[in-house]
Amino acid sequence: MTRILLVEDNEMNRDMLSRRLERKGYQVTLAVDGLSGVEMAAAHLPDLVLMDMSLPVLDGWEATRRLKAALPTRHIPVIALTAHAMAGDREKALEAGCDDYDTKPIELPRLLEKIEALLGGTGKDSP
Amino acid sequence: MLRRKPRGDDVASYAQDIVNTVREPLLMLDTSLRVHSANRAFYQTFKVSAEATENRLIYELGNGQWDIPALRTLLEDVIPTSSVFNDFELEHTFPMIGRRVMLLNGRRLRAGGHSELLVLAMEDVTERRRSEAELKAIETYAQNIVDTVREPLLILDATLRVRSGNRAFYQTFQVSCEETENRLIYELGNGQWNIPALRTLLEDVVPQSSAFNDFELEHDFPAIGRRVMLLNARKLQAGHHGELLVLAMEDVTERRRSEEEVAKAREAAETANKTKSMFLANMSHELRTPLNAILGYSEMLQEEAAELELAGFGADLDRISAAGKHLLALINDILDLSKIEAGKMELFLESFDLAELIDEVACTIRPMVEENANTLDIHLAPGLGAIHADQMKVRQALFNLLSNAVKFTHEGSITVDAGRQWMDGSEWITVRVADTGIGLEPGQLVKLFQDFTQADPSTTRKFGGTGLGLALTRRFCQMMGGDVTVHSVAGEGSEFTITLPAVVREAGAEPGAASPGADAGSDADADGAAVPEARDGAASAGAETPPGSVVLVIDDDPVQRDLMHRFLSREGFEVRSARGGEEGLRLSRQLRPVAITLDVTMPDMDGWSVLKALKADAALRDIPVIMLTMVDDPARGFSLGAADYATKPVNRLRLSQILRKHTCPNPPCPVLVVDDDAAARAVTRRILEKEGWRVCEAENGRVALACMERERPSLILLDLMMPEMDGFEFVDEVRGHREWALLPIVVLSAHDLSAPERLRLNGWVTSIIKKQGGSREALLHQVRDLLYDWAAPRPNLPTPGDEKLAAAL
Repeated sequence: MTRILLVEDNEMNRDMLSRRLERKGYQVTLAVDGLSGVEMAAAHLPDLVLMDMSLPVLDGWEATRRLKAALPTRHIPVIALTAHAMAGDREKALEAGCDDYDTKPIELPRLLEKIEALLGGTGKDSP
Repeated sequence: MLRRKPRGDDVASYAQDIVNTVREPLLMLDTSLRVHSANRAFYQTFKVSAEATENRLIYELGNGQWDIPALRTLLEDVIPTSSVFNDFELEHTFPMIGRRVMLLNGRRLRAGGHSELLVLAMEDVTERRRSEAELKAIETYAQNIVDTVREPLLILDATLRVRSGNRAFYQTFQVSCEETENRLIYELGNGQWNIPALRTLLEDVVPQSSAFNDFELEHDFPAIGRRVMLLNARKLQAGHHGELLVLAMEDVTERRRSEEEVAKAREAAETANKTKSMFLANMSHELRTPLNAILGYSEMLQEEAAELELAGFGADLDRISAAGKHLLALINDILDLSKIEAGKMELFLESFDLAELIDEVACTIRPMVEENANTLDIHLAPGLGAIHADQMKVRQALFNLLSNAVKFTHEGSITVDAGRQWMDGSEWITVRVADTGIGLEPGQLVKLFQDFTQADPSTTRKFGGTGLGLALTRRFCQMMGGDVTVHSVAGEGSEFTITLPAVVREAGAEPGAASPGADAGSDADADGAAVPEARDGAASAGAETPPGSVVLVIDDDPVQRDLMHRFLSREGFEVRSARGGEEGLRLSRQLRPVAITLDVTMPDMDGWSVLKALKADAALRDIPVIMLTMVDDPARGFSLGAADYATKPVNRLRLSQILRKHTCPNPPCPVLVVDDDAAARAVTRRILEKEGWRVCEAENGRVALACMERERPSLILLDLMMPEMDGFEFVDEVRGHREWALLPIVVLSAHDLSAPERLRLNGWVTSIIKKQGGSREALLHQVRDLLYDWAAPRPNLPTPGDEKLAAAL
């Protein structure tokens, strides 16, 4: 079963997205800030991380940098989620090491496409 | 003729020769005032013969022309009592030669066997007196002018003694002429002019440059209180007076005060505006967050309802979702418009494929097209290619036009035509959206693009929308230098056309507004517009300026820009200049300069922001940047940033390295440690004391300034994040002080500095030029020397064909 770590501080967004993903057959673990996101990623080694960018304690960019700097978590794909639909945010996220980028509000089909593209087809088909 | 003694023949004739050689008229009189003899000059000057002169009483000479009362007094009263008289001035109208001023000198002498003789020498000083009178008139005239000037003036001689002052000076400083003239300037009014800054100016600056302009002096004058004076000086050669220094003082106290007030008001307005923007940004977030939840949960319920086959819920959930999306769109529109009004809407320019964008928007709109049973045809001109613009805004503009077209058309057709064309010497992209819908009445057309206005109030009820769509579309297009036009016939349909430059320029860089100093910049603009395919305009700027040979000067001040431009051109550099940050960035991308000189203080985008943007661009970050700011006011000097930079926690080795660069001449030198963290201060203190420095501690910028008033440190170690007065403000304060402008400051910053702060201080500044007051020439030379380091042809310099550069693009 594909395991996704969702790092999101907003409770409703967390609940909503995790439930929708779970319904699509993913196993979702949750972290509420950047630091615990980095720790959980290291502890559970998920198949993919969905990372909100404006997070407390450690923001999404920094958390991604740390994930990408550490050998055990370096290979885990990270999709940045941000509420700021600004040009440049995408570049900023990619610069921090994110593998892809999506804007909130989430359009689930679009996000699922991105997730599957990064997992190389090994995800949803074998939940 | 002289009667001679045979023995003295030779001597007598020798004496007569001398007497005849003298060019001044001479008369020799005996004691009875009869002429014993005269010299040749006398006969020539007064046009008389020896016969009509010798043995006559002096008063009888030339028909009594020497019978002058003053002369009589002299000869009869003065001479008998003294053997000599000097420079007796006699003005008299002589019949033969007219009115003359004669200077008479007399000697009584005994000449051998002769009885006593009076030698009377006459010097004609008529001309001299006349020119002296003229000179006096000129001086009086000059003094009158000087006195008329309302600015206080002091005229100093080369030794800085006051030659004179003008009336305004005496009045302004409430001093008298007597206590001013012939005194050293520093002694005036109980030493009230003994000002260190003035001393430096007069003794160091003036001798080298012969003039100075607008030196600002703030001083407590005993008689008139604290004043800000603007001093101007000129050295001038004043004939027989020698070299004089004219010192003009303008009291700008009031002007400075009102400038300060304006600055304060501006600051207040900016703060208010910032608060408003913050409010908008926050509100945007606050409104969107719950809305996202509404949208998300309603979508989830839609999905669940579908799975559970609860057909009865579907329609209602669709309505919640649609209404939520509508509300979100409205909020976004309102916020966009507020942003534009607040001037906070920015352009994010990039090059992108126009056909792709149109396809994408068409895809989004297609469900709506089908809903109203319309057809959608898209015609793209061949070679449509790329556009350099703000992709999101182009997309939104196009989407707005298409959704309007779809909304107001039923069972009709919608056509999109896109092409590029040349107009007014530059290339434009046009996208036309035509529909066969309800069309617009002429009266409706007028109000069409106004904010919050729909063609017909009933439209809102029937078709929805905020009425902001078209207003925003037009604003977006205008921001990018283009526009939207409409052509419509009621009942037949509407046609909206978006026109945009193929290469959109950053705001504030309109073509044609170029000032003379920015000629090079506008040339490059034109080139850039001609090559719209160029990603970020990088490959543009034409063949005449190959990348890698140009120095780019970014400065808002045309004078400085021109100065730098001309100086560097003379030094053999190819120079381009930009009038501001945004233009500078664009030209940097186009020209790939070998080095950039960057002014720190510019109105639209300051040097630090430009630097940040330069360094954020992979293609530009390796270009050496010389930060400089030339402040005309020498008192402020050339402001500068930090001398060095280290991260905290401080690595002992790194700190030692830095300290070694700032050697202490006579240990222990005072070093000021400014940090709000007592523990960090203690650590730094230990390291410093080990290195032989004497440590002074301050917990914030304000305390640090107070410390510096007491003792001038040799070095400052500065934390940036502090309460009360932070490091940035502190640096500004220190650099604003003439005496401290050169003090080395080493920034010690915590790890979690924000990006812009880091950018302000770290090694991205290849060099921060330090120059306090005085010679601008020296600064220019420093810039030149730095440029030689980078801009001299080097074999490994990347050329346009270079793969490294290509990769960086």
